[in-house]
Amino acid sequence: MKNLKKYLIVGILVIIGSLASCKKGFLNTLPTNIVTDQQIWTDPHLVTGLMASFYDRLPSEYSISVNYIDMCDYDEAMYSGQNNAANEAHNNITSYANNRNDLYDNNDWRIIRDLNEAILNADKYGAATLDVPTRTQLKSEFRWLRAFMYFQLVIRHGGVPIVTQPLDYDYSGNAAPLRQARNKESEVYDFIASEMDAIAPTIGNSVVAKGFADYSRANMYTCMALKSRAMLYAASIAKYNALLTPTIVTAGGEVGIPASAANAYYQKAIDAANVVINSGIYKLYNSNPNLGENFYETIRQKTGNPEVILVRDFLVAKAKKHLFTYDNIARSVREDNLSSSQASPVLSQVESYDNLDNTVGTIKTNDPVTGDFIYYTNLTDPFQNKDARLYGTIVTPGAPFKGSAITEQAGVMVWNASTSTYTTSEGTVLGSSYTDGGLWVAASGPNRTLNEVSNTGFYLRKMVDQNALSSTRGVQSDVWWVWFREAEMYLNAAEASYELGNIGNAVTYANVVRARAGFTGANLFTATTGQPNSISRDRIRNEFRCEFAFEDHRIWDLKRWRIADQLFTGGTLTSPTTNPDAIGYALYPYRIIRPGDPTRDGKYVFVKLIAPRFKAARFFQPFNYYTKISQTAINNNPLLVQNPFF
Amino acid sequence: MKKFRLKLRCGLFCALLLLVITPCLTFAQSGDIKVTGNVADEKDAPLPGVTVKIKDGTGGTQTSINGTFTLTVKGNATLVFTMVGYNTVEMPVNNKTSLTVHMIENTTNLEDVVVVAYGTQKKATISGAISSITSADLDRTPAVAATSALVGKIAGVTARTTDARPGNGATINIRNLGNPLYIIDGVPYSTNNTVDAFGLNVTQQSGINAFNELGLDDIESVTVLKDASTSLYGLAAANGVILVTTKHGKKGEAPPRLGVSGYYGIQNYTRYGTPSTAGQYVLAQDQSTQNLNLQNLTNPANPLPYSNTELSNWANQVDQAHLNNDYFKAVNNPNVPQYNLSANVSGGSKNSSYYVSFGDVSQDAVIKDYSFTRQNFQANISSTLADGLTVTANVSGHLQHTHNVGVPGLDDYFNPFLSILSMLPTEKEYANDNPMYINQTHNVNVNPATYKESVTGFTDDLDNDVALKLSGEYTFKFGLTLKALYDYEFGHEYFDNFEYTYNAYIYNPKSGNYDNRPDLADGVTPDLTAGLYGNQNPYHESHRRDATHKFSQVTANYQHQFGDHNISAVVAYERNDTQTLSLVSHSVPPNNIIGIQYFADLDTFNDTRVDERTESVAFKLDYDYKKKYILEGVARYDGTYIYQPGHQYGFFPGVSAAWRINEEPFFKKKFGDWVDNLKLRASYGLSGTIVGVNAFDYLAGYNVNSGSAVFQGTYVSGVTPRALPTTNLTWTTNSIANVGFDFDILHHLTGTFDVFVRSRSGLPASRYDVLIPTEVGYTLPNANLNGDKTQGFDGQITYTGKAGQLTYSLGTNFTLARTENTTIYKPRYGNSYDQWRNGVANRWSGNPTSNTPVGPTFGHHIIGQFTSQAQINSYPVNIDGQGNRTLLPGDFIYEDYNHDGVINALDEKPIGYAQGALPYFNYGLNGFLGYKNFTLNLDFSGATMQTFFRDFELKYPFQNGGNSAQFLLTDVWHKADVTDNNSAWVPGTYPSIRVNSNGLSIFTVPAGGAAAANNDFWLTNVHYIRLRDAILGYSIPPAITKKFGINGLRVYVEGANLFSFDNVSKFQIDPEISSTNGLVYPQQRIYTVGFNLSL
Repeated sequence: MKNLKKYLIVGILVIIGSLASCKKGFLNTLPTNIVTDQQIWTDPHLVTGLMASFYDRLPSEYSISVNYIDMCDYDEAMYSGQNNAANEAHNNITSYANNRNDLYDNNDWRIIRDLNEAILNADKYGAATLDVPTRTQLKSEFRWLRAFMYFQLVIRHGGVPIVTQPLDYDYSGNAAPLRQARNKESEVYDFIASEMDAIAPTIGNSVVAKGFADYSRANMYTCMALKSRAMLYAASIAKYNALLTPTIVTAGGEVGIPASAANAYYQKAIDAANVVINSGIYKLYNSNPNLGENFYETIRQKTGNPEVILVRDFLVAKAKKHLFTYDNIARSVREDNLSSSQASPVLSQVESYDNLDNTVGTIKTNDPVTGDFIYYTNLTDPFQNKDARLYGTIVTPGAPFKGSAITEQAGVMVWNASTSTYTTSEGTVLGSSYTDGGLWVAASGPNRTLNEVSNTGFYLRKMVDQNALSSTRGVQSDVWWVWFREAEMYLNAAEASYELGNIGNAVTYANVVRARAGFTGANLFTATTGQPNSISRDRIRNEFRCEFAFEDHRIWDLKRWRIADQLFTGGTLTSPTTNPDAIGYALYPYRIIRPGDPTRDGKYVFVKLIAPRFKAARFFQPFNYYTKISQTAINNNPLLVQNPFF
Repeated sequence: MKKFRLKLRCGLFCALLLLVITPCLTFAQSGDIKVTGNVADEKDAPLPGVTVKIKDGTGGTQTSINGTFTLTVKGNATLVFTMVGYNTVEMPVNNKTSLTVHMIENTTNLEDVVVVAYGTQKKATISGAISSITSADLDRTPAVAATSALVGKIAGVTARTTDARPGNGATINIRNLGNPLYIIDGVPYSTNNTVDAFGLNVTQQSGINAFNELGLDDIESVTVLKDASTSLYGLAAANGVILVTTKHGKKGEAPPRLGVSGYYGIQNYTRYGTPSTAGQYVLAQDQSTQNLNLQNLTNPANPLPYSNTELSNWANQVDQAHLNNDYFKAVNNPNVPQYNLSANVSGGSKNSSYYVSFGDVSQDAVIKDYSFTRQNFQANISSTLADGLTVTANVSGHLQHTHNVGVPGLDDYFNPFLSILSMLPTEKEYANDNPMYINQTHNVNVNPATYKESVTGFTDDLDNDVALKLSGEYTFKFGLTLKALYDYEFGHEYFDNFEYTYNAYIYNPKSGNYDNRPDLADGVTPDLTAGLYGNQNPYHESHRRDATHKFSQVTANYQHQFGDHNISAVVAYERNDTQTLSLVSHSVPPNNIIGIQYFADLDTFNDTRVDERTESVAFKLDYDYKKKYILEGVARYDGTYIYQPGHQYGFFPGVSAAWRINEEPFFKKKFGDWVDNLKLRASYGLSGTIVGVNAFDYLAGYNVNSGSAVFQGTYVSGVTPRALPTTNLTWTTNSIANVGFDFDILHHLTGTFDVFVRSRSGLPASRYDVLIPTEVGYTLPNANLNGDKTQGFDGQITYTGKAGQLTYSLGTNFTLARTENTTIYKPRYGNSYDQWRNGVANRWSGNPTSNTPVGPTFGHHIIGQFTSQAQINSYPVNIDGQGNRTLLPGDFIYEDYNHDGVINALDEKPIGYAQGALPYFNYGLNGFLGYKNFTLNLDFSGATMQTFFRDFELKYPFQNGGNSAQFLLTDVWHKADVTDNNSAWVPGTYPSIRVNSNGLSIFTVPAGGAAAANNDFWLTNVHYIRLRDAILGYSIPPAITKKFGINGLRVYVEGANLFSFDNVSKFQIDPEISSTNGLVYPQQRIYTVGFNLSL
């Protein structure tokens, strides 16, 4: 008995104790979601994953998946979504911040660092398993990505240090040897050009396993597209900065390019664009005889689209998706019970589209002689015979979208015979009926105060998805984001030719794009001066505005032309500047109730007004041409020269 | 165990334990005898009402009014005399027929045994700062989560209930140090209390969860370690330790004791904002437009949205179309139940004991279709298999079910609260008041008609855990006990959120139709291509999580007494291995019917695995001399998987000492007649905190599944280079110093007081004087550079007394704790203003639990409100940056703090404590009255030194284009006549309403200020005291209950949160919430009836 007890004691203690016994290295667990250099460079799938991560990290001021609320910050749109202090600030920009678009922090430079590392590691770790052409291709593509980063840096900050090797701190307490001064602005553009020339032959991806180019990775034509854009930017800065008073330059050329360099850059922009234009691979998208729909498809058509050169693609089926449609679809066709209507195009953008008879696109609301309203039978009447890009970009009142006519009506105007005036009545409920039984406020507004309904009378069409459920949070949309497309090559060449004095070529290039918008014959541009259809610098610039609205081109174009400060002149709304470009205007349709007057009763009139939620005129000041280098960055590297005005 | 050897002073515990360890003691055989006796106090005054029980037997009686009793017992029996306020006396009968018993009045219970780290200890010999609370005090509160039951009852514990939705507990800190370590029946749980976007704990086995999910009735005691004694828990212990012990049966307690208790309560919000009526809303809309027109800020001037006729129609609710819609009523479902029923049976034989319980608690939400239920079970069984060898099994588990309505958006509780104030009182829940048709309204997302499970779906969260704690221990005759403990826990959580699509309608009076989509321009024909109203976003998301928690421990415990020297030593080795496997899947369900997910509908499937491991050795040595001089040393050698191999282990020692000065002869001589106990204590200890580092930060390489791209139509999962490895950062080192004393004086007054400082060094910060060029692309990993200290005091005082048949006690406890940033790595300032405005060094930190230094909260000071346009026009300071032309009477006058004539960010000054932090000062008041069979408990809790910032719904009229609380729309500056811009201004508390009025001084800060800057009009430094519980109980006399075979029956009525005195009542919010918009579930006022039955 006593022995049994003893065994029992020992047995139980041993069993329990063994569960707790010491084990060496017990704490050294390994993670499941981290791979090493040695692993990654031996597995082509992981290398492709690395490439995917780099493409995913490429910055833009706004895109279809990031920061698209910033579309509401210039003269393209204003904000009409859910109101809160942060969002309403987009309608109340009394001054653009001096650090707007900053791309100069550690995380931004880390992309360049990771690319520099990848260029080295491809050989260091990949030599054993990847053949030389494969590694050359990879290194070329990493260099394209790096050049794209430098392009994004130079258009924001001017010249930046060109770092092509990973910089490693040795923990000695002295990081001075790692400091590098800013290169000249021109040197960064030159670096992009030379890199593109160098890698174009080896970057691969070119054409075309399945009969089309890989839109989502760079190829030799993407090199030329980036080069063309970069050279055009360098040229415009060289030419137009010199015309500013004062010019925006630093002594060392970190900011500012000598005017003398302009022509060479313009020529390079044309040459690079011509490589793409003459490739035989890329053409303007021209598949739908309805030119408005055709332009809409230009951006979002994913199959058989010869126009796009590089995109950031999405795929709903794999949860690679975005909320652009959820946030921007017209109110009456939203499917979710929240959001919609964030970016509302402003009237000045709408009016920038010419009429097809080549007259300016101002919307006519009142009879110039009598001053009375113009009474339109249909909501769509004021928008007939317009540049097809208006339809393809913006949903105007009554225009179809997603198979539905987007009726827009702010309220009714009731004729008061005793005072001979109209009384305006704007309801507070969307889709409600007025006492006469007819529509009071349309389901899509516009409305002065309601959230998530257009404040301007216009909605976005470009990039907004029409697929079922794409406006819901659960499903979302996979419309892709276009970085480069063929139309830009034509307009780049047109602008550069014009600036070089080759007006004939400019007309030829520009008319390719203009013809796609529906202009024909005598309404196309001509080189002859003094004609209604004469080409001019302003009209070429307006082509950029119409063609690339909401594609993250506008502010960079305004900056390189050095006219942003002339457009966005600030001031308050109660003492309006003479400059409507700085103010978000709206166009409100009303239904006329005037029984006994069949020429007016039931017709629509339009009222132009400052969008009621718009609070301050845009104010772009000379210091906004270059984003301030943060004090942190200068503290970190005293060799950095600050940009002018700071 | 020799510690508890037989003494003359016998406590109940001692005797019980004596019986356990000396089962072979023999008693003389004898027959029944009749015993009579007298019971008196120290002054020989007879004591009536003393309970007399036969130890280990049945039967008993109470003393008469003369203090006498008669009882028939066996001659070898022992009688136990108990009475509230007196030491329990045990007296062997020894065949005597007459006994005289003197009971000594006692308030201290120094012989009480308290659960401490790795064992138990008599209160008298404890040298550290420890507070404890037992089941009787915990059970008083009708709490669903155990943390709520601690509030206001323990010195040193600070608390705040910011969101009291069903199942939620309070945020508990010890001395405001941060989330403490919970140890339940000897097993430590994770201190990681991170919550994901769905409000679920990232670590299922987090200590606060494990504690909250215990059955409240199963908790025997809670001990709070506050000072150097926490060093025994090393890296996890820096924020204090909460030791929880569950109930056990008592050996030798032969007849099983069956206990049943339950309560049923009716809940309502303590407070919630009253929405404005339709009449108030339409008038305010007109006033807003009028005010904007007065400012001439809109172009052209806006027409008033409501005519005078409409205003009066709404105000008088003239017809069906103008009825006011009260959305507080629509959302809420008052008087909902909360109930608890638990039963347990306990007992023991000579060699074994058991406690088995089952509990069921249920709490409905005031919002319909939301509920919380939990079933707990616990079985604690212990058996002595042989001399000195005991095995114990504690099995416990719970099934917890949270059920919400599947409202779109992450938090199902947010939208109902949002809708109360954002639905317009002028719009109807149902189109044309027809309950078949949900009204589309201005935003159907907040229409309460949709908050029904049948309409919008459901969210179920099932949290099921089972824990098995097995231990065996063997005690050698020479005082050494070896113990091995193995704990295996398995937790499964299943979160399932299915949101339906639903249609909504607009009634079209012209056609008589209920339109589910917009009409064509004729206003009659539905536009079949337009989007449907309602919500067409199908959504189904599931989370499955399996957590396996394995903990093992081997302990050696040695106790011996050498003459007057008592020694006790513990060495423990323990290891912790937790694995969490999680799966998240999301699908787009094709319909509202099929409730499970299919592969074809999935668009997200995330699989993660997390392994967490720790390994440690703990040491503890206790020594006392005559229980007069007491010394304790503790240490832990602690290792964690977080850091790189070779740098995983740290050593954390602590020491404490106490001097029971009242045991000194000189002291006894001088003060002995009124000082029963006076103990001076001091302690100092070290511990660590894992801060600013994630697991595997020491590894370079690449993160998989990080970023992604679509190449040629094919999805490619991204592989992203990791940041620079962090290899030189280690834990912070914390030291805690504590000085305090315990006292029992005048036989009635007992108390404790402690002063403490916890200093942390090595808080992560950047070594910014080594500047790495930004172009390098990384920042240097943080190093252990900064430091802070949290200091304050806590204590408690209780007075216990008795007058005739009235017994009473009054106690208070209090805690003050705040933090100063003591060490900031080479602080650098541009100028003295920069230092004052942005510096944090040597300043009281805004937030005591922050790991990065923060300074005080800055904002504008409001010195008044303009009373007339003339005053604005002549005011010399430019407040709005536009010459004050945007201001109207009623707008704030900002203090021009720097006297530069313009208001901007330079005028900000410190105005408050940290937003969302726990109050720096907490206190509780606990009162007790007992008269005959009646008892009354009153528990107050209160706090101060805490700041609440109002924002959104509590600040902006018509926030989100909705309605507002009445005080925001009616108590405002406005023109007497809304149609006459020349009429007089009528003053109010709030500035005049201007909807969507960005850039106006009342709502945003003046020019140049940060958008989020505060001012002290919208800020409240909150102080409150609330009656947390009031309980009136009645114990039915045993004489009656015995007839029904019932040992005891107590019934009670209780009111929780009956009232509070505070300074936020005017905003209609509960003083403990921290959400700036007030849209959270406030605490509940609960009226409860309950009973405790023992058989």
